[in-house]
Amino acid sequence: MKQLITLNINNQNYDVIVTPMDLLVDVIRKAIGLTGTKKGCGQGDCGACTVLIDGQPKLSCLTLAITCADKKIITIEGIANEDGTLHPIQDAFLDHGAVQCGFCTPGMILSAKALIDRNPNPSQKEIKTAISGNTCRCTGYINIVSAIESYANLVAEKGAK
Amino acid sequence: MNILSNFQYHAPKTKAEVLDLLADIGDKSKMLAGGTDLVIMLKEKMIQTENVINIADVKELSGIKFTDNGVEIGACTTISEIENSKELVEKYGALVYAASQLGSYQVRTMATIGGNISHSSPCGETPAPLSALNATVVIESKRGERTVKPEDFILGNRQNILEKDEMVTKFIIPEPVAHSAATYGNIGLRNAMEIDAVNMAVNIELEDDKKTIKSAKLIMGSVAPKPIVSEGVPSLLVGKELNDELIEKVGEAAMSEATPISDVRASAEYRKDVVGALARRLTKEAYNKAMEA
Ligand SMILES: Cc1cc2nc3c(=O)[nH]c(=O)nc-3n(C[C@H](O)[C@H](O)[C@H](O)COP(=O)(O)OP(=O)(O)OC[C@H]3O[C@@H](n4cnc5c(N)ncnc54)[C@H](O)[C@@H]3O)c2cc1C
Ligand code: FES
Ligand code: FES
Repeated sequence: MKQLITLNINNQNYDVIVTPMDLLVDVIRKAIGLTGTKKGCGQGDCGACTVLIDGQPKLSCLTLAITCADKKIITIEGIANEDGTLHPIQDAFLDHGAVQCGFCTPGMILSAKALIDRNPNPSQKEIKTAISGNTCRCTGYINIVSAIESYANLVAEKGAK
Repeated sequence: MNILSNFQYHAPKTKAEVLDLLADIGDKSKMLAGGTDLVIMLKEKMIQTENVINIADVKELSGIKFTDNGVEIGACTTISEIENSKELVEKYGALVYAASQLGSYQVRTMATIGGNISHSSPCGETPAPLSALNATVVIESKRGERTVKPEDFILGNRQNILEKDEMVTKFIIPEPVAHSAATYGNIGLRNAMEIDAVNMAVNIELEDDKKTIKSAKLIMGSVAPKPIVSEGVPSLLVGKELNDELIEKVGEAAMSEATPISDVRASAEYRKDVVGALARRLTKEAYNKAMEA
């Protein structure tokens, strides 16, 4: 039972044909070709597949694509500025050496951005809690936490978002 | 890319439409709320279904509504909405804290409170605090409405009292009575993302003297196929003032009632020790808070 649905991803509409059981992560990666979103465990544990759905970080490996027809989805490709320059949170990750192999990075950045959007002034504990569902298999957590702290400070100083 | 077996998808807009669908095809359907349990079970082929009814976007089924005598929480309210609710913290803090302990933030933005009890896992985070807060589970079908206590809803591991045409629509939690307080605690194997080895909620109500215990309730999860409501702890506590000796006895009573199993998460022996420790700590905390309330 294939169905045509429209997915709004990074403020662009994509018409895709899906079956009800297609997972959002597969549709984003394979049908649409945005491969920034990663698929790690497929079980909800690693957070590599995190995307923002209506502003909230959610796991695209546990989301049926068909449930997202009326929603706004943001993937890592939608984070940079329109002119192609990096978003300050991406700069912060680079500046702090928070990226090793990069597999966890898209999910980390989206979880971190969602945290700062709901709580612009998080404690270190709150940062760690917010990314506890994102596994970094290169175990670069210290630099990741510093990068998020520095982005939070920047938002506090300049109101940058 | 079809790793799930085929099913038909339904996206009703209103509660009435959901109940109609359940009356028609409830025996051949699964409801989808946050999907954090259901999608995994479909993927792992632990279950198969001909129909999936998405209830997550039915507005009347979600939200936190304060009333004259308490609060009503819709079944499709997400765990993160509960965790982030500033209004709930003061009187229903045990539930808010339990919500903050469920999975990761991404899991909590998806998972719903109705899905948590309906999945009926012995280690579910919210049934124990809901019991401690004297919540009522509201169950509806086209045939009508009935209500049960959370502890009577779960029958065993992934078994509950729902008929095929029924669903959970909301939870009603009364305003806490004077001089009472509820607490929640959980112990897993690491600090984040764990499935609880033991979880527990306690409610203590004091007489007007703010010392003598008028009523007590202790519920533990993860230590048996369904949540256990202690019988020994209230009979120890009612009519008395809390002291160290009594706290020790509370721990022993809870330990004697828990019937934990050994599994990959923890041995039965470890779980029993944790039951004792949590029972002592949560009873003391609830008592102290009740003196202030
Ligand atoms: C990585 C990960 C970590 C987790 N950690 C925890 C944890 O620490 N603690 C914990 O308690 N749980 C945990 N869970 C389990 C899960 O997130 C919760 O049980 C959650 O509350 C389920 O809600 P849901 O809305 O996602 O349910 P769904 O998966 O949508 O549904 C679960 C079941 O309930 C039924 N259902 C849903 N809503 C209703 C309703 N209103 N009426 C009747 N039936 C209904 C569905 O048909 C299905 O059978 C975890 C899950 C994952 C993936
Ligand atoms: S791939 Fe979704 S959480 Fe691991
Ligand atoms: S940088 Fe390699 S997984 Fe995190």
